[in-house]
Amino acid sequence: MFRMILWKEWKENFWKLWFCGAASLVFTAMLFRIRIVPDYANCIVISFAQMFIVPVVFALDIFSGEMSNRTIHLLFKIPVPRWMLFFGKYLVSALGIVAIFLATSALMELMTQGREARVLFLLETNLLCGMAGLLLFTWFCAFGCQSRSEAGSLAIMFAVFAGWGIVLFWSGLCEVTWAERFVPYSLMLFRITKIGALKAVFSQALAFAAVLGAACYRYASIRRYL
Amino acid sequence: MRIAGIIHQQICQLRWHLLACLGLIMVLPVEEGVVNLRAGSGFYSLSMAVVAATFGPLLAGLIACANVQGDLDEKRYIFWRSKPANIKLLMTLKYFVGLIASLLVLACPVVFAIATVVLFAKERIEREPMYSAPFLALIAIMTYSLCFACNVLVRKSARAWLIGMLLAGLLLVLPFVLPLNYRDFVTDTMRWTWSAYLAIVLGASAAAFVFSLYATQHDWHLRTNLKGLLWVGAGLLFVLMMLFSSQVANIKVLDEKQIDSTRGWCTLDNLDNRTIFQGQSYVDVDKGGISLRQIGSFSNHESGVSSVHGSLGIDSAGRRAAYSSRPIGYRTQNYPRNGHLYKSVDGQIYSFSIVAYYQIEREDRLQKRIYEKVYLRSYKVIEKNGMPVNELDELDISDCLTKRTDIFLPVMRLIDNVIVACVNQSCIVVDATDPGELKRIDTKLDVLKIPQPHYPDRQKEFSIPLVPVEGIGTEERIRFSIDLNCGSHYGTIDICESSIVAVHDGKIAFFLVSERDIARFDVVRWDQENIYCKFSSARPFTILEGIAGTPDRGQAFVERGSLYCCGYDTLLVFDIRSESRIRKLGHFVRMDYRIEDIAVLNDGNILLCTEWERNFSRSDPAKRKKSYLCLLKNPG
Repeated sequence: MFRMILWKEWKENFWKLWFCGAASLVFTAMLFRIRIVPDYANCIVISFAQMFIVPVVFALDIFSGEMSNRTIHLLFKIPVPRWMLFFGKYLVSALGIVAIFLATSALMELMTQGREARVLFLLETNLLCGMAGLLLFTWFCAFGCQSRSEAGSLAIMFAVFAGWGIVLFWSGLCEVTWAERFVPYSLMLFRITKIGALKAVFSQALAFAAVLGAACYRYASIRRYL
Repeated sequence: MRIAGIIHQQICQLRWHLLACLGLIMVLPVEEGVVNLRAGSGFYSLSMAVVAATFGPLLAGLIACANVQGDLDEKRYIFWRSKPANIKLLMTLKYFVGLIASLLVLACPVVFAIATVVLFAKERIEREPMYSAPFLALIAIMTYSLCFACNVLVRKSARAWLIGMLLAGLLLVLPFVLPLNYRDFVTDTMRWTWSAYLAIVLGASAAAFVFSLYATQHDWHLRTNLKGLLWVGAGLLFVLMMLFSSQVANIKVLDEKQIDSTRGWCTLDNLDNRTIFQGQSYVDVDKGGISLRQIGSFSNHESGVSSVHGSLGIDSAGRRAAYSSRPIGYRTQNYPRNGHLYKSVDGQIYSFSIVAYYQIEREDRLQKRIYEKVYLRSYKVIEKNGMPVNELDELDISDCLTKRTDIFLPVMRLIDNVIVACVNQSCIVVDATDPGELKRIDTKLDVLKIPQPHYPDRQKEFSIPLVPVEGIGTEERIRFSIDLNCGSHYGTIDICESSIVAVHDGKIAFFLVSERDIARFDVVRWDQENIYCKFSSARPFTILEGIAGTPDRGQAFVERGSLYCCGYDTLLVFDIRSESRIRKLGHFVRMDYRIEDIAVLNDGNILLCTEWERNFSRSDPAKRKKSYLCLLKNPG
C-alpha cells in the first residue's frame, strides 16, 4: 500500500521536480556559460536561490493542496495509517529536492571541471545548500502540515526562513555556538565559521529526526479538515 | 454609505496582519538595540533597522493581499456584491487605508532607529544608511499597488503576492536590462535613474490602482494554477537573463587554454598575419582550438648563442635583458616595457626596443632617476625561451635627452621599414630595412609638446599638432600624431602596436573612449603644422554597460572597421563604419580576470590574454595565478 501512496504522490508532484529541475539546469547552464562572475560566485548564487525556492515550490501545496481541494477526507479514508500518508508526501518531496540539487551540482562540475575552483568544490557547496534546503523543508513540515491554504504554507515557509535567520544572527552575535549548530544555514558555513563539521552534522541529524517525528505526529493528529 | 464606517471596518480587518507585520519588522532592530546595549554602546539600532526596512516592500505586498482578500474572496464577494455599495469608493478607501498601514509598518524601524540613535547612542552615529528610506517607501507603494491589483484579479493571496512581487521586480530591473541610452553615466545617470524609477514606481502604482477599480467593478477574475504561474515566472526570469546577457555577454568563447606564463605580464603581438605570445611562441588557431608553437629551434649555430645569453642577465621576473655593454652603476629601463616591436624578414623575427640608462640620485630624501643614455636596439629572436638574446645593432639616440632629466617618456612605432621613435620632446626616424644596420633618417629635437590625455571640446573645431618628421607618408604622420596626442597615455605600449585612427573611404576619423561614451571625431583638414578635427557622433554607454565596467582607462584601437575597447575585465566591440552612428557589436565581461593583451586574428576572431588572480577554494596555494588565452568569436 505504501508503494501506491508513493506512486500517487509521485504523480501529483512530478511537475515540481520537472519544473525545479529544468529551471535549475537551464539557469545553471546559462550562468556558467556566460561566466560574467567567477564560477564559485555563480555556484553560490545558484545554490542560494535553489535553497530558498525549491523547498517553497514543494511546500506550497504539498499539504494545503489536499485541504483546499477537499481531497483530504478521501485520503484519510484509505485504510493506511496517517504517518504513512505523511511519509509518502515527505519522501517524494525530499527525494525530489535531493535529485534537483544532485543534478545541478553534477552539471556545475561537468561544465567547470575545476577551471577556477578545485574539483568537487562546487558540488560540495551546492549539495550543502541542498541539505540546508531539505532541513528547511522538514522544519516547514512540522509547522505547515496542518496548513489549509497556499498563503498559509507560504507564510509558514517564510517564517521558517526568517526564524532560522534570526537565530543564526543572534547566536552569532552572542557567540552561542551550540545554537548555531542547529541552524540549517550553518551547513553552508563550515568553511568560514568555527562550527565543527562533525558536531554540526550530529546536531542537525538530531534536530532532523525530532522535527520529522513532530511533523508526523502533527499530521496524524489532524482533527478538523473540512 | 458612511466613509468613517468603511475605514473603521478596513482597520479592523487588517489589525492582526498589522500586528504580525510590525512584530516581524521590529525583531531585528530590537535585537540590535539589545546587543548594542550589552556591548555598552547604548540601546540603539541602525544597520538592522535598514535591513528590516528593506523587507518593508514585501510586507506591503502582504498587507495588500490581506486587505483585498478580506472582502473579495470567493464567498464574501457574493455577499458583498449584493450590498448597495459604491464599488469604486469602497475600493479607493480600501486601497488607501492599506497603503497608509503599509507605510506605517515601514516607518516603524526607521523612526525607531532615528529615535534610539538620537536618544540613547553614547557616541555620535552617522545616520547615512537611513537616506535609503524614501526610496524603500516608493518601492513599497509600488509593491502594495501591484499586489492589490493582482489580488483583485486572482483572488488568491499567495499567488497574488507572488505575481505582484514578480511584476515589481521586473519593473525595477527593466531600466537596467533594456538598452536605454542614458547619457553621461557619472553625473546624469543617477538623476536619470531616479527619474526613471520615480516614473516607473508612480506610474505602475497609479495604473495598478485604476486597474483594480475597473477589475472590481466588472468582476474580472483570472483563474490560475500554481504550475502555470511558476512556469510563466521562470520564463520571465529567463527572458530577463537573456536581455541581460545580450547586453553584456554576447561574445561567444570559442576556445580557452590555460597557459604557463612565467614572465609576468602576457603580451600578444601581430606579425606577418601571425600572432606571437610573449615573444616566444606563435599562437596557432585551428579547428582543434588554440595551440602554442615555439619560435625557432636550436641548431648548432644558435646553441652557440646561449653563451651570449649567459652574459646578458635576466631580472627576477625573467623578462628584461641587461647587456654586457651596460655601464657600471647604471640601471636600465626598456620600452616597450612588456614586449617588443617585432619585424619579420625572410621568416626570421627581429625585435626592437628603446633602452634607457639611468642612475639613482638622492635629493632631500627623495630618490630620482636621472636618465643619461638612450639607445634604440635591434635583436634577433632565436633562443628557445623567447628572449631576444642576440643583439644586432645599437643606435645611440641619447641626443633626444636634450638636458639632464628625470623624465623618460618613450614612444615608438614601426611603419613599413621605418621606425618612428620619440623620447620626451624629441623625435627620430630610423630606417630598419636591415635590422642589423639601423640608419637614422631624420632627427627633430625639442619639437613635441608632452601631450596630456584630454577630451576635446565637442562644440567647436580643434587642432592637433602634426609631428614634424620626414620619412613617412602623410596619412601615417596624421595617424601617428593623433595617436600620440589623443590616443593613449604617453609612454604606454598601445601606440606601439595599435591606433585609434580609422581611414575609411578616404576619410580619416578617430575615436575616444570616456567614462560616459565613445565619441567619433572627423579630421576636417590639415596643413604643415596642425590637423583640424571636429566632433561627429557619440555612443553613450547604457547603465548596464556602466555597471559592468566602462573601458575608459584601458586599451582602445581600431581594426578592420571595428573599434575594440578593453577595460580591466571588459571588452567592448563597436561597428564604426557608419559615419552617423557607432553601433555596439559585442560585449565580453569576466569578473576577477584581468585582460592583459588583445589581438585580432586574420579570420577576425579575437584572442585575449587574461590572468585570474583569485585563490578562493583552491587547495594549492602555489598556483595563485593562472593565465589563459581566450579565443572569442568576432561579433562583427
